Amino acid sequence: MSPIFSNLNGKTATIPDDLHDELLIWVLHDTLKLNGTRYGCGAGWCGSCTVLVDNIATRSCQISAAKVVDRDLITLEGLAKGETLHPVQQAFLENPLQCCYCMTGHIMTAVAFLNQNPQPNPAEIDAAMDINLCRCGGYNNIRKNVLRASELMRGQS
Amino acid sequence: MNRPPKMKWRITRRRFLLIGAGTLGVLGVGIHAGLKAIIPSLVDEFATETGGGSGSSKPLLWFGIDRQQGVTLYVPKGEMGQGVQSMMAQLAAEELELEPTQLRIVMANSSQGFDSLHGTYASSSTTSLYQPLRQAAANLREMLRIEAAKQFGVPVSEIIAAKGACFVKKKADRQLEYSKIVAAKIGEWIEPTAVKLKSRQDFTKIGQNTPRVDVRDKVLGKSQYGMQARVPKMMFGAVARPPQFGATLRSVNPGDVASMPGVKKVVIDIANNFAGVVADTRTRAWNAVAKLQLEYVNGSNISQSELDRLVTAKAGEGTVVRTRGDVNEALKNPLVAAYRTPLAAHAHLEPLTALVDVRQETIEAWVSTQDVSLEVAALEKVFGKNRPIIVHGMQMGGSFGRKGNQTAIVEAARLSQAAGVPVQVTWTRKEEMQNSLYRQPAHAVLRGNVDRHGRIVALEHTVASGDILTGSLEPPVGSLLAKVYQIDLGVFIGLFSPYQMANYRVYTRLIELPIPTGLWRGVGLFPHVFALESFTDELAHSVKIDPIEFRLLNLPNTAEGKRLKAVLAEVKTKSQWANTLPTGIARGVACSFSSNTAVAMVVEVQVGGSERSKSSLAMQSSHFDFAQSSPAGTSPNEDIGSPQPYFVPAQPIQVTRVVIAIDPGLVVNPNGAALQARGSVVMGLSSTLIEQVLIENGAVTQRNFDDYPILRLSQTPPQIDVHFVASDLDPQGMGEPVIGPVAAAVANAVFALTGQRLRDLPLQLKP
Repeated sequence: MSPIFSNLNGKTATIPDDLHDELLIWVLHDTLKLNGTRYGCGAGWCGSCTVLVDNIATRSCQISAAKVVDRDLITLEGLAKGETLHPVQQAFLENPLQCCYCMTGHIMTAVAFLNQNPQPNPAEIDAAMDINLCRCGGYNNIRKNVLRASELMRGQS
Repeated sequence: MNRPPKMKWRITRRRFLLIGAGTLGVLGVGIHAGLKAIIPSLVDEFATETGGGSGSSKPLLWFGIDRQQGVTLYVPKGEMGQGVQSMMAQLAAEELELEPTQLRIVMANSSQGFDSLHGTYASSSTTSLYQPLRQAAANLREMLRIEAAKQFGVPVSEIIAAKGACFVKKKADRQLEYSKIVAAKIGEWIEPTAVKLKSRQDFTKIGQNTPRVDVRDKVLGKSQYGMQARVPKMMFGAVARPPQFGATLRSVNPGDVASMPGVKKVVIDIANNFAGVVADTRTRAWNAVAKLQLEYVNGSNISQSELDRLVTAKAGEGTVVRTRGDVNEALKNPLVAAYRTPLAAHAHLEPLTALVDVRQETIEAWVSTQDVSLEVAALEKVFGKNRPIIVHGMQMGGSFGRKGNQTAIVEAARLSQAAGVPVQVTWTRKEEMQNSLYRQPAHAVLRGNVDRHGRIVALEHTVASGDILTGSLEPPVGSLLAKVYQIDLGVFIGLFSPYQMANYRVYTRLIELPIPTGLWRGVGLFPHVFALESFTDELAHSVKIDPIEFRLLNLPNTAEGKRLKAVLAEVKTKSQWANTLPTGIARGVACSFSSNTAVAMVVEVQVGGSERSKSSLAMQSSHFDFAQSSPAGTSPNEDIGSPQPYFVPAQPIQVTRVVIAIDPGLVVNPNGAALQARGSVVMGLSSTLIEQVLIENGAVTQRNFDDYPILRLSQTPPQIDVHFVASDLDPQGMGEPVIGPVAAAVANAVFALTGQRLRDLPLQLKP
């Protein structure tokens, strides 16, 4: 019996029989063709593969898919509501990084962080976002965008 | 160079393609910005930093207009985060009279038009296409106006082009979208000649902060980088790597790898030094290849100390590449100093990746690449030219020079041919760290003296440097340059001092190493400017002159010298150079000139004391759970260690503020240019403070970002101010020039603060 994601971006999805032990990143990326979850280091250091598991930022390269089937999973593709971007996406759209390959990780980490700390100060943002790498060096935009997203989120609520 | 490069460009295709009729009508307008063949082009571009030339018979870029897609612009430049697609859209939209967002930008594949080598290198995309792209767009606009006039039955002078449509003057209801004009056209198009381009003061798109065309898809996760290329029936490949540089595969015992789950094919090709596996998932391919029993021979056993010994310049040794005056006579009581820049990795986050489908009749590939033409050439070398080869360039997740000439495409092609299915090869991070083409190690000895007025009398600069470009040239040119002249074509960028001493000589020596080295952002720029501008600072201090004043005094009144003086003056003002800083903070300055762009930079540093950066990463904070992420019930591939919450090592040198003044000519998109500048600063600081690839027994000792850290957010100065100096020049290079002065500016600030003159990168304070 194939394990089934009970809630992946609000839907169910099946993991093929022979991929029970496969890492979450490859089930998302290669089997389900979700382009947003990206490989960067395979060891948890860079954060490009970050997804939300029960709203906690999690490295999908470090966890098997089967282990999280009954959890609430959100990937980059699951943030927008129709055409409306999540405030964190909106902030990164207005003030982008360069190649944006790692941006998934920054966006997902920021979403998890802002859910828990809707009004962060700059030092808290630095600490929270320091776990993700950006080789193009867009760190100051990341700092700004998390602050901007927190304003957008409060404005909306 | 004192002059901006003169771009030779011409329109050679006056025959337009009108395919089909009615709603299927497609208009293609092509244009050449001719570039010479590889060797002369490289000599031109890298030796004199000019572009230009001519030669190709196919269009370099062109437009297509049809009812389905609207107006499409095909560009041959790869997008790796420099925003090139958006800048091309701005340039074209300006003359075509539409909004940049109305253009569909397509990265042309290797079969679409161009066949000469014009990759995405040397900060040259916008510079080289600025004139021809606007001209093509202007010509196309005029063709559309002429045809619209016919269709409306009014004189051409009555037609206004705006927002992607042609209007009849004063009759706003009489309008035709470009695609409708094309669809209704019958017969041949005639291209007008001598269409005048807008002058700069009339620009409404160029110079604006137009949003990037590619980012919406990227925040939604819809973009396809090379790694997200997908075709039906594709499988995944993994390739065996030698344990030491230069090692040759002697034998492979596949054991029972072929029967491992998901394995489709084991490929052993001793003659080509190749072994690999094709499997149905990446994990299975990686796991399977790790089980091959491989015997390699004749690997290098070079050590770090041997590498450093080899790459050591001795004053006056090497090929003289520039000389004036009499250095031997003038160099009395010289100040002498030597500077070292180590091997470094590109560390782009998307590793090399290529998907290739080798079929009887064709070969098709989807690759993250800076140059689809080189990828085609790589395949032709292996598979010959008897079937069409099409290479599609994908979005790149970073590159910094690395994705110029991939090996992944050949690996995937060999596996695809053997397995009979399309195969994607993606390098693991460990493969990237240990089997890359690194930034060349460099060492420079500088000897110079200054007169009592503070003018540099003589400067002698001797460089020993690993290979950048020569190794990638076809024999016999490459080997001729390497063996006979001991010279490397890449070494010239950033090599020459901008100052006007009467006596000057530069020697370079190419050091052949068993470690592959090649293009890395700015090529020679980063190591050379570190040495030159650190030494300039030493000369200034030796005569107790303010470092900015010293530079202003010694710069010539050439065009280049004036532009450097202007950026120095600007950075002096903007950094409040004259103001005294609080105790514990000091400033350093450096400048450089490359890709015809002048850059000056002031940094502020503090040292030691701060426990800030010793704090644990947020790995156990409540929004992030590493424990939850612990490796699950699977056999992880060998790259996955056991990640632990880890600590950022304290950085004894902290850069707290960076102020940059840049003259890159006309700035097409100020936000994009500033982002490039800040990115160059961050990458430069990473190399200045942290990065060094280490060698032991012929191999790289590091394997991932834990043992090869790169600059993190908490280590990035919160304030990186970018100021553009107004310029009458056309757009010049922007992707690389700003990395030039970073290391020297930091080292000079550290000297100002501590009195320690650090001459080896990464900078390490003595206790």
